[in-house]
Amino acid sequence: MIFLKFDRRIFSHFDWVLLVFVLAVCAMGILNIYSTGFSAAGGQTSFYLKQLQWVVLGFILMMAVFFLDYHVIVQYAYAIYGFILMLLVLVLVIGSSSHGAQRWLGAGAFAVQPSEFMKAVIIITLARYFDNHKSNESYSLKELLVPFMMVMTPFLLILKQPDLGTALMLIVIFVSIIAFMGVNRKSLIFVVVSGLILAPGGWFLLKDYQRERLITFLNPERDPLGSGYHIIQSKIAIGSGEIFGKGFLSGSQTQLKFLPEQQTDFVFSVFAEEWGFIGSMFLIAVFMVIILWGLKIALQAKDSLGTIIAFGVTAFISWEVFINIGMVLGILPVVGIPLPFFSYGGSAMLTLMAAVGLLMNVSARRFILQK
Amino acid sequence: MLNRQEPIDFRERIRIVVVFVLAAITILMVRLAYLQIVRGDDFKKKSENNSVRFRQVKPLRGLIMDRNGFVLVDNKPSFDVIYIPNRNKANELSVERLKQLYENRALAFPYDQALLKNARPYLPVKLDKNVTMEKIALVETNALNLPGIYIDVSPIRLYLDGEILAPVIGYTGEVSRKEIEQSAGKYGYGDVSGKHGLERFFDAFIRGQRGAELVEVNAYGKEIKNMGRIDPVAGYNMVLTIDADLQKAAWNAVQGKAGSVVVMDPRNGAVLAMVSSPSFDPNLFYEGISGEQWSQLQNNPFAPLSNKAIAGQYPPGSTYKLIVAAAALEEGIITPDTRVFCNGAFTLGNRTYRCWRKGGHGSVNLHQAMVGSCDVYFYTIGKMLGVDKIAEYARRFGLGEVAQIDLPNEKKGLVPTKEWKLKRKREAWQMGETISISIGQGYNLVTTMQLANAFGAFANGGTLWRPYLVRQIQTTDGKIYKEFLPTKKGDLKLSARTIEILNDALKGVVNDPGGTGANAKLSGVEVCGKTGTSQVLGLPENEKARRRKILGAFQKDHALFASYAPSKNPEIVVAVILENAGGGGAVAAPVARKILSAYFEGKKKNKNKGSAKIAHNN
Repeated sequence: MIFLKFDRRIFSHFDWVLLVFVLAVCAMGILNIYSTGFSAAGGQTSFYLKQLQWVVLGFILMMAVFFLDYHVIVQYAYAIYGFILMLLVLVLVIGSSSHGAQRWLGAGAFAVQPSEFMKAVIIITLARYFDNHKSNESYSLKELLVPFMMVMTPFLLILKQPDLGTALMLIVIFVSIIAFMGVNRKSLIFVVVSGLILAPGGWFLLKDYQRERLITFLNPERDPLGSGYHIIQSKIAIGSGEIFGKGFLSGSQTQLKFLPEQQTDFVFSVFAEEWGFIGSMFLIAVFMVIILWGLKIALQAKDSLGTIIAFGVTAFISWEVFINIGMVLGILPVVGIPLPFFSYGGSAMLTLMAAVGLLMNVSARRFILQK
Repeated sequence: MLNRQEPIDFRERIRIVVVFVLAAITILMVRLAYLQIVRGDDFKKKSENNSVRFRQVKPLRGLIMDRNGFVLVDNKPSFDVIYIPNRNKANELSVERLKQLYENRALAFPYDQALLKNARPYLPVKLDKNVTMEKIALVETNALNLPGIYIDVSPIRLYLDGEILAPVIGYTGEVSRKEIEQSAGKYGYGDVSGKHGLERFFDAFIRGQRGAELVEVNAYGKEIKNMGRIDPVAGYNMVLTIDADLQKAAWNAVQGKAGSVVVMDPRNGAVLAMVSSPSFDPNLFYEGISGEQWSQLQNNPFAPLSNKAIAGQYPPGSTYKLIVAAAALEEGIITPDTRVFCNGAFTLGNRTYRCWRKGGHGSVNLHQAMVGSCDVYFYTIGKMLGVDKIAEYARRFGLGEVAQIDLPNEKKGLVPTKEWKLKRKREAWQMGETISISIGQGYNLVTTMQLANAFGAFANGGTLWRPYLVRQIQTTDGKIYKEFLPTKKGDLKLSARTIEILNDALKGVVNDPGGTGANAKLSGVEVCGKTGTSQVLGLPENEKARRRKILGAFQKDHALFASYAPSKNPEIVVAVILENAGGGGAVAAPVARKILSAYFEGKKKNKNKGSAKIAHNN
């Protein structure tokens, strides 16, 4: 079994640049979370310590993913996919039964979010499918049906939770990958149209209050406080940072505690307020390096499987960066998508670190020829 | 796997992707520059004098109604004086100024200014709550001098029945920081949650959902523009199994005494009334209770804040004889004709156990022993049964475990066994202790709730129900959201013959000449019951001393009476336990009688009303 033999070249080609830049964002993230917790009603909260634990755990996971040859990982892609799918079903089952049971008071938050994991798993799943079904021509409808179903199943399960942001990320990753793989115009139209048709289909699966949330999400006018308020406050926070920022732990908007997602979706506002234009540009530049580096890995991968994986991971990270920052800057609607490596959240951190492990995996093995 | 074909040329595609990425990043950077450089000054001013304020709108908590839809708990508006600190130090003077204004009019200023140090910018601080019109006018007319101080309106609870149901319904309060942290986002700052009783147990249903308002304020803190609002969602209403009239009757019946009453429907476990006395007025908590009043409530030896019906544990005394008798009959140790001669004392080794009647009962059979509550009879059969057999039956009656009523903090009482004593006290069981257990003394402990449920199970022929207080959760427009149905919890597994014999004996306790429960006798309805008088000797020495000090006469026994009616197809169970009140027959039975009488009177009235209606319709 080839995968158990470590080629020493994976160390000589270890991707230090990627690792350093990713860990740099993680470190800035922890500092930033420290700042949000610092001003929380009295005393310091332990979010930043928890985040540190997640980064360490994530790093271990990243190394594990790195050491296994990605060809081997992809062989297990469908099994992993099935497992996460099962967890997603489980989430729905447990979630609903806790309502009907007598002890409804004991309901707590689900500690891990399988929906986050699915973001990375869908990449290797699609990579395996497209690697098995290579084509120089653009993909036709028939060939896209299976991957389409692979995405729609978790999409609907996650939508039912409901977690629209995460569900949409799956679609965005899917569309990015098929666009990259090449798809003929007919198929593209079909995917778009069926998406539009299926969305109302999922509508009937939802409960009243979930529909209410979705309407609010799709039409922010209906929720003048939720998105409107957050965006106003977010813009004030970012703008008032001006060029040099207000300084670490000194963001006055941050101390308002009016942004309920300060540690998660709106972390960038906090950072921009305290570190100003210069700090924000620096952070965006670091993200840019990570993204371009990811594309470089995709380009230099030794086979198409490596390219698909590296591209998928890069697309995943870039979309989250663009959507999240675009959202807090007020140019995109408010969606529940975290800023990679930066927002507080265990499942997201583990997923992203595993995804980076895949990138490093492809990067380090670019010179190794498969026997 | 398909054949490997020529690799796709990804180079060109990645080049396009790079262009996209650079374009997206450029957009972000341009936007960032616009916000932070072009408009930075503008936003900085806004952040310094953040004029956009987010205000919570509290939801209406669900109403609580009795079984007939009679409202027991409502909401009313409360006007509070709040202070929202900002980053501007000058605002802190507002609080001082308000204090002056209060004092000029000889009004007490309830807020301790030392606490202002802990205030966080933009988190509202409540200075005074539920204020009068005078104070509202004071704040409003001086608004210009009081930046940062506002009048806030929020709904608070109005307990229409006051203290009658307070220990059962409980009360609400602002959530604590701990609750917020443990709630995984369900609670936010300033939310209200149930603190005791039903308010707490059903909080998730009746809480509702807070709304919010976004307002723009001017430099004085006056609202100039409402920028949007999310309406709060009112909580669901709750329909109880409690009958308000019967509850009131039960409350009146125990006035002046400490103790508790549970009234149930033996056919399904629905609790019709639950009284714990003395009680407290929950409305006080909203009007601002003084520290002194609070410590009085907390330190009152009669524990008005606790629901004694489920949290008070007492030796069951002679009410336990029903269980011992049932065990003896079922185990074939006695027949109804078995006779024991009672000369007033029972000797075991060199100890003598007395019967409550000094001269003794003479030769008695089971019926007579129950009616006269002869202790010697039960010492005799208890000794033959042994403690573990008695415990086995006691458990079937639901003793020694929580009745699982829908209230927090229910106690489970105690059913002692040999194993229990060895484990807990590291001592072997003494035969003498079995003798005490046979008449419900010693380690035995029950709650009024358990006692009612046990007698209810016997009354209905053997089904032990889970007692329940809430019948329905309704949406605000009256639709049923959740219905609670009777749930079977266990089975007494007694033969029909045993039940018949003992039902007859319980009927005799109240109706036979010389019966110990004669005080519960009603005309027109055959009441069955069992008296009990439990000795306070079980109390720990220090507790006894404490009570004695406070009350002087505190050696009196607890008075118990458990009853049901009518003897055929019973429809109501009443259990009464009064603390340090004296003998069960003398003190507790009359209380039960008043409640039973109120129930049957009420039924008659309703029937008349019902038939009048029918007649009218015809």
